Amino acid sequence: MSNSNPTKLIQSHAQVLLFPREGKPFLAPNEWQVWDVQDESGLPAEYANSKVLVPFTWWRSQLDSRHEGSDVLTKAKKGQIGVWFAADDDILQHAELIESGKQYWPLVAAYFPLFRDGRSFSTAALLRDRLGWDKEIRMIGDVLIDQLLQGARVGFDSFALRHDQNLDVALKQFDLFTVTTQNSWRGKRSLLAIS
Amino acid sequence: MYKYDHIDQTLVDQRVAQFRDQVARRLNGTLAEEEFRPLRLQNGLYHQRHAYMLRVAIPYGLFNSKQLRTMALIAEKYDRGYGHFTTRQNIQYNWVTLEDTPDILAELAKVEMHAIQTSGNCIRNITSDAFAGVAGDEYVDPRPVCELLRQWSTLHPEFAHLPRKFKFAVNGAKEDRTVLLCHDVGIELKKNKAVNNGELTADIYAGGGMGRTPILGSLIQTDLPWQLLPSYLTALLRVYNRFGRRDNLYKARIKILVKALGPEEFARQVEGEWLHIKNGDDNFTQAEWDRVAKHFTKPAYKSLTALTNEQVINIASEADKTAFARWLERNVKPHQVPGYASVILSLKPHGTVAPGDATTAQMLAIADLADQYSFGELRVTHEQNLVLADVEQAKLYALWQEAKKQKVALPNVGLLTDIIACPGGDFCSLANAKSLPIAKAIQERFDDLDYLFDLGDISLNISGCINSCGHHHVGNIGVLGVDKDGEEWYQITLGGEQGNDAAIGKVIGPSFYADEIPDVITNIINTYVAHRNEDESFIDAYGRLGVIPFKEAAYQNAKKKGEADKTVGEDA
Ligand code: HEM
Ligand code: SF4
Repeated sequence: MSNSNPTKLIQSHAQVLLFPREGKPFLAPNEWQVWDVQDESGLPAEYANSKVLVPFTWWRSQLDSRHEGSDVLTKAKKGQIGVWFAADDDILQHAELIESGKQYWPLVAAYFPLFRDGRSFSTAALLRDRLGWDKEIRMIGDVLIDQLLQGARVGFDSFALRHDQNLDVALKQFDLFTVTTQNSWRGKRSLLAIS
Repeated sequence: MYKYDHIDQTLVDQRVAQFRDQVARRLNGTLAEEEFRPLRLQNGLYHQRHAYMLRVAIPYGLFNSKQLRTMALIAEKYDRGYGHFTTRQNIQYNWVTLEDTPDILAELAKVEMHAIQTSGNCIRNITSDAFAGVAGDEYVDPRPVCELLRQWSTLHPEFAHLPRKFKFAVNGAKEDRTVLLCHDVGIELKKNKAVNNGELTADIYAGGGMGRTPILGSLIQTDLPWQLLPSYLTALLRVYNRFGRRDNLYKARIKILVKALGPEEFARQVEGEWLHIKNGDDNFTQAEWDRVAKHFTKPAYKSLTALTNEQVINIASEADKTAFARWLERNVKPHQVPGYASVILSLKPHGTVAPGDATTAQMLAIADLADQYSFGELRVTHEQNLVLADVEQAKLYALWQEAKKQKVALPNVGLLTDIIACPGGDFCSLANAKSLPIAKAIQERFDDLDYLFDLGDISLNISGCINSCGHHHVGNIGVLGVDKDGEEWYQITLGGEQGNDAAIGKVIGPSFYADEIPDVITNIINTYVAHRNEDESFIDAYGRLGVIPFKEAAYQNAKKKGEADKTVGEDA
C-alpha cells in the first residue's frame, strides 16, 4: 500500500515523450502536473488554472459526495482534469466510472511506484482491450528508459520519464526491435505473417 | 528440431544489441546497478559469490551438436573450461565478466541460442520431458506446444515485471518426467477421442513450487483446446500480475496467491478475465502450428528390427558384458521406434566436482557422439544429465565404449549417486551451506556399483538453501543446507517424490553437521535394506514403514548439539 499511495510522487522530466500508435516518437513540453493527494481535501489553488492529473481514488471520492456543478466538474469540463491510477487500483471494479470519465478526461495515467513493479502494464492493457479507452495513456512514476518498450506495446503512448533519464537515449528505444512474437496494442505478432 | 526463421533470428540479434547498449550504459555509469539488475537478470546474468554467472536457455531441453560446440567454446574462451547443466534445462557459466557478456550472447545468437528470460521476474525458460518425441510412453509430443509458448512468452511486454519468476512445464507422457506439479503452471497435454474431437487439449495446474513453501499445483482448468493456450495463460498471468503479493519476496509466488484465494476462486478469477479475451486473436492458429510442428517430425529412422536386451549384450566382448549390461539396464531407455533406444550420458561420475558439470573437452566429444549416433541432437534432463535420444540398438555397445572414454558412462541413472545438487556455497551468494562437497562425500561413500544396483531406484537431492534449486523437497532423500549462527548445518527430508505420485518430503528433525551426513544416509539406507520386502523400492518401503524407523536410524549416533537446534523447522 505504501508504494501505491506515494507520499511524494517521483519527480518527472520537464518534457514528455509521446509515441502515438500510428506515428513516430517525439518530445513535447509536459503540460500536465500530477497531484498526489493524501486526504479528502479539495484541489489546491495552485492547480486552479493548470491541467492536472488527479488520483483516481480522489476523483471517485469527489463524485461520491458530489454536488452537481462542483468546481471539480467545472474544471473537468474545461478539459483540465485527467486521472491517474495507482498500481493497486482495481480498475475493473470501476468500469462504469471510467466509462463516464471518458467524456471528461483528455488522458489518463498509470503509476509505477517502482520500475520493477509491472502491475500498471496490466492496467494499460485492460484500459485498451477491455475498457475501450482510446485516448492518451501516460506512464508516470518511476519511469526508466528500459521500461518504455514494454509500455509502448501494452498501450501507453505517453511517457513522463523520471527526471534523471536521458531523453535522447530514451527516444531510441522504440527502434530496437523490428519484430515481435506476440500481439500487442501496436500490432499483431510478426510470426503471423509467415505462417 | 526447431529451426529459427528470420523473425526469431532478428529478435535474438536485436536483443543482443539491446543488451550491449544496456551494459555500455551500466559501464559508463548512466545506469545504476540497482536498475541494471533486473535487466541483466532477464538476460540470465547473475552476480554470484565470486563472479558473474550467465545462464543460457536450452528451451525444453533440446539442442544440437553445433550448439553444444558453441557452448564448449564459450566455456573455453570466456569461462574456465566447463559449463554446468541445471535442473531447469539451462547451462550456466560461473566465471564470465560483464564486459564479455554481449559478445557471448552474440556467439550464442549465431547458433540460434540466447539467454532471454532465464532469470528475473518474468516467464522463464519453458521446460519439458527430456524424452519428448521418442519416449515409449508418450501420447502427445509436447515440443510444438513448448515452442509456440516459447515464442509467445519471449519478451512478452505485459509480463516483464511480475511479482516473481514464473515457470512453465509441459508434459505429454504417461510418466511425468517434468516435475509438473512443482511449477507455477503445469500444462498436461492430452488427446482423447471423447474430448474436442480427439484434438489436442491441455489440463492446467497452477500454483506449484518448491522454495520456502513447497506446494503441489492444483488443477484449475481441464480440456483446454491447444489453440486457446495464449489467451488462457494471459488471463492467468494477468490475475497474478495484478494481485500477486509484492510486499514480501517469499510470498510473491503464484502458489501463495492460489493458496490464499483457494484454487476454485483463483480459477474463477482467471475464467472471468479469460471470458473477455478467449475469442481474440492472441490464440494460436493452425498455420502457426503447422509452421512450428514441421520441425518436430521424426528423423530419418532406418527400418530396423527391435533387438532384445540379450542380443544387444551379445555384441559386447566377454570382458565387457557385465558392465555393459548394467549400463543398458540403468542408462538406456525404450524408444517409440523399433531398433532404437535413448541413452542417458551421466554427468554424475563418482567423485565429481559438481553434478551436471561438463568440460569443454567432454562437450566437444559428446557433440561428436551426437553426430555419429543420434542425428546430431541432444537433450538435457532436469536431473542434470544429457540424453542421446535416437541411438540404434546395434550401436549401443560402440557408443558405450566411447562414452566411457569421456567418463559419462557411469550406470548410475536413477540410483543413489545420481544426485541432483545446486551449486550451493561454492558459487551461489544465497547459499546457507555447501552442496557440492556433500554430494561428493555421498558418492564416495556409496561407490560400490553392485550395492547401488541392489538398492535400486532412490533419488537424493541437495539444495544449499531453502530456495530449493536442488529439488530437495522432491527427493526420496532430501538434504537442505541451513545456517545457524554462521555455521553450516544440514536438514534431512524423507518421502519426497517426483513423477506421477509427486510428493513433498517431510523434515525428520534437527539438522546435522556436514561430516555426519554420509553416516546419516548410510543409516537410512541400512534401515531400508533391513526392512524391505522383496522388490520393494525405497519410497514404497518408506510409505509402508513410515518415518519412525528411518528417523531413529538417522539419529542413532548423531553428535550432541545445543538446544537451539530444535528451532530448525521447515522454514529454516
Ligand atoms: C547460482 C545462482 C542461483 C541463484 C541465485 C538461484 C536463486 C533461486 C531462488 C531465489 C529460488 C527460490 C525460488 C522461490 O522462492 O520459490 C530458486 C529456486 C529454484 N532454482 Fe535457483 N538459483 C541459482 C541456481 C540454480 C541452479 C544451478 C539451478 C539448477 C540446477 C536452479 C534451479 C532452481 C529450481 C528448479 C528452483 C525451484 C523451485 C521453484 O521454482 O519453486 N537454480 N533459485
Ligand atoms: S538452493 Fe540456494 S544455494 Fe542452491 S543454488 Fe539455489 S539459491 Fe543457491
